[in-house]
Amino acid sequence: MKDIARQRLGINVEAMDLLNSQIKMEAHASATYLAMASWCEQNGFFTSAKFFYAQTEEERGHMMKIFKFLVDVGGNPISPEIGNINHDYASIVDVFETTLDHEIAVTKSIHNIVIKARSLGDITTERFLDWFVLEQVEEENTIRDILDMIEVTGTEGVGQQMIDNQINNWID
Amino acid sequence: MTVVYKSKFYTFYQSDQKKCFYIDFGQKLVPLSFCQLLALRQKIITISIENHFYTEHNQHGLEILVFCNKEHLFVLNTFEILDLKELVEVGFSVLGISSPNTVIAS
Ligand SMILES: [Fe+2]
Ligand SMILES: [Fe+2]
Repeated sequence: MKDIARQRLGINVEAMDLLNSQIKMEAHASATYLAMASWCEQNGFFTSAKFFYAQTEEERGHMMKIFKFLVDVGGNPISPEIGNINHDYASIVDVFETTLDHEIAVTKSIHNIVIKARSLGDITTERFLDWFVLEQVEEENTIRDILDMIEVTGTEGVGQQMIDNQINNWID
Repeated sequence: MTVVYKSKFYTFYQSDQKKCFYIDFGQKLVPLSFCQLLALRQKIITISIENHFYTEHNQHGLEILVFCNKEHLFVLNTFEILDLKELVEVGFSVLGISSPNTVIAS
């Protein structure tokens, strides 16, 4: 029997499934950051809104990177369905704390796929994910820095607006 | 044509000559390119069999499976769906692009 399946698909099919789940997770992150931008706009945190507009684009970029990889290896990329986007936040601190939780969940998910790819001997998928592993270090670090700044600034009095102004330092 | 895997109701073949696959559904022998096979697999593994038992979403236990860009339509019952899930799961591991004995999450 010829190896037709392998000729057509360059990665393990379970790795493909996990990458499709990751596409969905990135899309969900993109939609969540857009909801955060909405919250920021409505609550007077206009610089933070700009930050989240940039984030929503970035997450969309991550999604497309995986999508195109699946195309390149002959896979079946799935356009994700997303729902349950939270629009309610108690404060600007809550927004950034939730962001950090999200990023940590994404990091864990990527690490899981790396571990799975490794156990399957799928070196192509493992190498592809190197970029994402390092990207997550940066993403988490950014949000941690912002949370540190929030802590130092404090939320009393004009603190919240000072926080918002300083978010500018994290917009490239 | 070589048999890749035969489940209770279905048979999955590969044709080296035509570089394609076939699934014998009983009433119909369906030819599939690899892309079509991947798309069909996606549809089958994402069918929620739990809905046949634990919820009111699918009390009749029937699934309408449309594939190959709407060329084929099958109405399948719970047993047939379970059998088809087994066929793709084992079939893909026989093809060497999936590991054996894994539960595929949707
Ligand atoms: Fe991301
Ligand atoms: Fe991110």
